[in-house]
Amino acid sequence: MKKTISLLLALVMALSLCACGNSTGGQTSQPPAQSNAPADPGAYEVTEPITITWWHALEDQYSADVERIVKGFNDSQDLITVEAQYIGAYKDVNEALVSAHAAGSGLPAVCVANTDYVAQYGANGVFENLDAYISGTGYDVTDFSTGLLLSSQYEGKQVAMPFLHSTQVIYYNKTMADEKGITIPEKIEDFEAFLKAGAEACGGYGTMIPGWDQWYFETLYLNEGVKIITDDNTCDLNSEAALKMTNQFHDWYEAGLIAWPFGPDASSGMRQTFYEGKTFSVMHTSSLYNNYVDNCDFEVGMAWYPAASTGDKYSEVGGCVLGIPAKNDQATKNAAWQFLQYLVGKEVNMDWAKVTGYIPTRNSVLTTDEGVKFLEEKPAFKCVFDNLNLINPRIQNAAWSELATTWKNYMDNMMNQGGDISSESEAMVEEIDEILADRG
Amino acid sequence: MTDSPARTPQSGQTGIQEKKPLLTARTKSKIVDFLFVVPALALLALFTYYPVAKLVQISFTDWNLLSPTWDWVGPKNWIWLFTGSGAKYLWNSLKITFLYSLGEIFATLVGGMILALIFSRMTRGFSAMRAILFVPKYVAMSSCAVVFMWILNTDYGVLNYFLSLAGAAPVDWLGQKSTALISVLMTTCWRVLGYGMMIYLSAMIGISPQYYEAAALDGATRTQQFFSITLPLLSPTTLFLLVTTFLSSMKVFQSVDILTEGGPSRSTEVFVYLIYRYAMVDFRMDRAATSAVMFFVILLAITVATMKYSNNSVNYDS
Repeated sequence: MKKTISLLLALVMALSLCACGNSTGGQTSQPPAQSNAPADPGAYEVTEPITITWWHALEDQYSADVERIVKGFNDSQDLITVEAQYIGAYKDVNEALVSAHAAGSGLPAVCVANTDYVAQYGANGVFENLDAYISGTGYDVTDFSTGLLLSSQYEGKQVAMPFLHSTQVIYYNKTMADEKGITIPEKIEDFEAFLKAGAEACGGYGTMIPGWDQWYFETLYLNEGVKIITDDNTCDLNSEAALKMTNQFHDWYEAGLIAWPFGPDASSGMRQTFYEGKTFSVMHTSSLYNNYVDNCDFEVGMAWYPAASTGDKYSEVGGCVLGIPAKNDQATKNAAWQFLQYLVGKEVNMDWAKVTGYIPTRNSVLTTDEGVKFLEEKPAFKCVFDNLNLINPRIQNAAWSELATTWKNYMDNMMNQGGDISSESEAMVEEIDEILADRG
Repeated sequence: MTDSPARTPQSGQTGIQEKKPLLTARTKSKIVDFLFVVPALALLALFTYYPVAKLVQISFTDWNLLSPTWDWVGPKNWIWLFTGSGAKYLWNSLKITFLYSLGEIFATLVGGMILALIFSRMTRGFSAMRAILFVPKYVAMSSCAVVFMWILNTDYGVLNYFLSLAGAAPVDWLGQKSTALISVLMTTCWRVLGYGMMIYLSAMIGISPQYYEAAALDGATRTQQFFSITLPLLSPTTLFLLVTTFLSSMKVFQSVDILTEGGPSRSTEVFVYLIYRYAMVDFRMDRAATSAVMFFVILLAITVATMKYSNNSVNYDS
């Protein structure tokens, strides 16, 4: 009997292997399916009542605003009912979306995605190519900031639309800065003096650099001329310029001028440290402006990162885009396209900008009374408005997620765990080169 | 004379031959027995063996989880796992997983046994204390991890607060390589100690008091009674706890995901978290599948070895 069962199970396994060989996709090298959207403009109309879901990452503090904005859409027409679902942080949304995509069921009609994921979702057909929808319905995208529009593209295809965007900024204790006469440096050469003054003034750190997400420090490398991924598809994080930057961070860390928070609780820990005045400044996302202002009992200032020794002071776009999962049926996609246009519309976008710290995505806002009014309400955003054309799209590479994980782990080892900069950098680059050669 | 069909010598000798049945009663019974287990086997094949087979298949492809297409890459992922950067992380996570497992087994077996001996009195007060110790087992690991994240916080945590009262410097429990795994284990211990205690207690109740009476008459001390009677007769329970704790501890994920995300510097990157990272963070389903198959083989080998060893050394006489 045991033999029979064993034989049967072996047979099942063998059969399943054979079945696998002919399963979805099979051993092909065909490009992933992109848009199946019809060319006929009438094909994008919603003709039957439909209920769709929207997955977002807006935390509980924004739930009333989410409800209000979704209600605004539901009340504006009769056919589409939108149900908003909070999934979690961007990482959680990614996991849920990827799982639903792999299963081919349980997909939302509209989904947010961190700018980090645009390349992967675009390259693999997770998000619908919206080009046909844009041209088919005559949707005007010219008013979007060019950098933000590019951030939603993959290889020239509009696979998502700009939604809630932010960039890297320095928050500082303005009350203390005014009191002690501390100014935010324009150049990286002056940053050490600023850190010393800030640390002395607050009796803690000069600043905190988020180690949990390389997005916060990669821009400093890029401005120093480090490409991270070179034209010949190798990593240059062991170049002279990169090592100089890493050593600089390390020296500041060793001198107690900066902290390098890392780990799942690091973001809230860093915020708490700032609220309590134990650090003079923090490098964080502009989207958390309201959060900082609401929790600090001192005036919060916002400043642009200092320019590198090369003179460059670019930043990178953060936040999230909106996309339509490609595996949905056409009726759902059409309804999703209607809702997506509403969400990224100028009025709703300004609404988001007011209640959060996300930046307006429309060019027309910047030069109009709306922009002036926005700055009157949030004067700290002047540094962002002044430098909007310096916000670059993210690096798009199929191996980026893997590279980023490797980089931030090595950086944590070098900063917080006493790892040797030179040998760790060499090991890191060797590993990243292997990743890039395999998939980049 | 009429022609008649030729008869075989045997039939001529025995008269009318009894037809031999196609299946004997024993075979029929076996088939019926087998049919009863077919539904269970089908489910097992569908939900256990098929995914394993699928994993083996994916380990020979370059599938990234997102794309509908993939290519066969031969043993490339296996070569990477044993000779490329995969080897470093494979051994690192194996080491961490076994260390974690040892810690959890120690807490469950030794801690559970000690607590069982302490709380073995059947009074109302002790019953209440046993219940208090056992309740954490039924607190969801996610809730438990969030609470411990607060307890272990460097600047605002309760643990560092008590340490500061004793004049000690604050410890970055979850942020340092030297303390991160211990911190995850602390969370686990809080949950498993009461469970180990309850299992041991219920087994202790099953030991006949006559053994102890006889030993006492022979002048055996309480310590001698424990090592010569209690411990050997609890060996099936110990084996049960050992195997189940080992298997569950090897699959640890949630506490690591919430408390450390495998860090700092991969010092808490247990095997399941490593697999998760490859698949869901790095979009390397091929590498995740390769690692998962490797993990399956390791667990299978250890379980078989444990069962073989236990057949020879466990006392089932209690």
